Amino acid sequence: MNLILEKQALQDLLQSWRQNYDVYLPQKLERFSHFMPLTETSVLVTDEPHNTRIPPKSLFLPMTEALVKFTRYGGYEDARHEIQPRIVFGIRPCDAQAVQLLDTSFIQDEYTDPLWLERREKTITIGLGCHEPCLNGFCTTVGYGPFNKADLDAILTDMGDVYLVETFSQAGDACFQGLPVAAEETYQEALAVQHSAHDQMPVAFETENLKEKLEQNFKNNYWDEVSQSCLGCGVCTFLCPTCFCFDIVDETQRRERVRNWDSCMFRTYSLEASGHNPRPSRVERTRQRISHKFVYWLDQVNQIGCTGCGRCVRYCPVGLDIRSMLRQAHSLPFEVSHAI
Amino acid sequence: MPEKPKIALFQCRWCLYAPADQEWVDTQLPENIHLTKTPCTGRINPLYVLNAVQGGADGVMISGCLPEQCHFKTGNMAARRQLEEFNDFLDYIGYDKQRVRFVWLDLQDRGIIQKQLAAFEQELDDLGPASNLVTRVKVAEGGQNA
Amino acid sequence: MPDLNAIRTEAKRLLAEGVVDVVVAFKAGETPLHPQPAFFRSADEVDQLVYDGLCQNNLATFLTRVPKQSKVGMVVRGCENRSVNALVVEKQKNRADLFLIGVPCEGILDWQKIVGEVGETVKSVKENGQNLMIETKAGYQLLERHDFLHESCKRCIHPNPMSADILIGEALQEGDPNLARTAVETFEDQTIEDRYAWFQKEAERCIRCYACRQACPMCYCEECFVDHIEPRWSESGATPAGMQGWHIVRAFHQTGRCTSCGACERACPMDIKMTYLTEKLNHDMREKYNFEPGLDAQTQPPFAAVTLDDKNRFSV
Repeated sequence: MNLILEKQALQDLLQSWRQNYDVYLPQKLERFSHFMPLTETSVLVTDEPHNTRIPPKSLFLPMTEALVKFTRYGGYEDARHEIQPRIVFGIRPCDAQAVQLLDTSFIQDEYTDPLWLERREKTITIGLGCHEPCLNGFCTTVGYGPFNKADLDAILTDMGDVYLVETFSQAGDACFQGLPVAAEETYQEALAVQHSAHDQMPVAFETENLKEKLEQNFKNNYWDEVSQSCLGCGVCTFLCPTCFCFDIVDETQRRERVRNWDSCMFRTYSLEASGHNPRPSRVERTRQRISHKFVYWLDQVNQIGCTGCGRCVRYCPVGLDIRSMLRQAHSLPFEVSHAI
Repeated sequence: MPEKPKIALFQCRWCLYAPADQEWVDTQLPENIHLTKTPCTGRINPLYVLNAVQGGADGVMISGCLPEQCHFKTGNMAARRQLEEFNDFLDYIGYDKQRVRFVWLDLQDRGIIQKQLAAFEQELDDLGPASNLVTRVKVAEGGQNA
Repeated sequence: MPDLNAIRTEAKRLLAEGVVDVVVAFKAGETPLHPQPAFFRSADEVDQLVYDGLCQNNLATFLTRVPKQSKVGMVVRGCENRSVNALVVEKQKNRADLFLIGVPCEGILDWQKIVGEVGETVKSVKENGQNLMIETKAGYQLLERHDFLHESCKRCIHPNPMSADILIGEALQEGDPNLARTAVETFEDQTIEDRYAWFQKEAERCIRCYACRQACPMCYCEECFVDHIEPRWSESGATPAGMQGWHIVRAFHQTGRCTSCGACERACPMDIKMTYLTEKLNHDMREKYNFEPGLDAQTQPPFAAVTLDDKNRFSV
């Protein structure tokens, strides 16, 4: 359904959702925006031409989460707390797409992460399309777009004084119940906005044969070159909406087993108990990060594991840019493999 | 009866020269005092102090030897420089300076540590329980990082 | 602004004459706002070398990451020179293996402040004395340079490299030490509850990405205390105890070693203010021991230079 939402009416609508849901939306925190619970005084940030700094994956996979609490005499109890039904409002299409990509890893026939699943089932996501494409992002290059609709219950298109709301599910319909239906012309106008945003995004790098090139140049000097100024911090991975690695730690002093975000850019990530480290330097770790997104994801689920949100580009402390890294990778030699 | 303040006592194993004092510390410390014996005050990593603070100690007492009486020549001097600065630093971010007490004992001293502990406990009683920087007990739930 | 050509000429000479194996400097990044640290190994690569106010990293970080035997040339500002000195004091590198191309620094620009003022579409940034000329999609904008400096750079005391092998450009006026002192004293004047509230607010935004550690030239430990598993020194996750513990101990390990370059704060993706912690420690080192890290390549930091002369400071 296509509906019209006056911008002035947005605040009231958001507040009305609070009766039945926990509402999360981007709000100002220091110099950036961050998904925080809606309160009476919350101010929604929609005018930023880029994403929130911490990706909304943190709403589904918290940075630190207690799994089990140990009790005396060798027992333990569940440390999970109950999750209320919630609405995540203002999620950008790249981030929503990323959450859907993560489903492939957390929800599988054989192994399903109950914590992830519970949060996913209880969450309604309402997206906000990017009518003003961000400079660091490259969503169209990796096959998505500024109005990508995957995993959204509804998406908003900014049209000056009003939003055009497109709903894709019953839950989405219910959230926007009672709004006037958009005229066909308005809808066409919105589509024009969407297309123009899509067309404004430049092609950042070629993806054709990229996988083969990266695979075949596993031992190329290229990796030394691109990783030499890398600091080895976790900014790119922690701010990445599709990075999902975690580490399970027993906090003995708190008597809890917790799950923390982990990053393949850390030395301790691949360190083995024997002291051997299969990825001993930043070269191997950078290779792992890039290859995971552009090779291994493709092997496993046949999708690129990057949604082009541009956070790693924007916040890398040394200005490393995955776009230029992959452009460079594209000029690497490779042989076309002929499938039998 | 109100709870007694929790004290973390870091003691250099050489500073209590009198066997009676050492035996008192080893065996008869009241329950609210948690003893950690170290080979020298120089071995006390500021992390130990931080762990005590975060774990809920209302006060930290560090007892060591006087200058020139250190078993390892200058261990106590190194400790003094580091821990004094660490104390100032903790005060800067909110853990009251008075909650950390240094006791430097002469090898000739007898029966000092008991008095010092009692006096310290009294002062901590007046200050009330520590709340700043006591974070280990709290679980991160919800909040902005949820 | 120092003459870029002079820097390039010097770097070329070093590589051509074989004085050094590698020159560590900056090259242009994908956008004008993010120049990138770069390693030049031959004279003909040097044309890519750039240097401007947006070069935000402390290059001394890479000093402990290049092979120990290699001879390194480096473009250094005041803070980087101090970091190099401090590393030489700690025997991480032989001073004889280094060639420092010194550039007096007018302060590092905060790209986030620029973007906040003129918007995202920055095409070029030109520095002209006290002014910034910024080209965006909408046109040109003239800004006051001082307003866009990092806070740590506004407090900078020694903008000039003190022990560079060659100095390019005119030496600048030394900064006012009172600015650093006032910053610490103003913070100290708050009540203890306010200080803790501030510390808590800043520290508990941490995501434990360790960008501050990795960006710091003095954090070169093989294994950091947070990476120890047995014994585990601090909580590993983004819990209050973990986040606060990390910030306390990270800062404290810099006592008498921090050269106030502010690289930690610039690297932080969460805009956590950290220099107020290290400034306090530096302040104390100045007041108590009259010591400033990195001013020369010989003096040991106070915690390493323990003598019995200290005994008069004992008060029981």
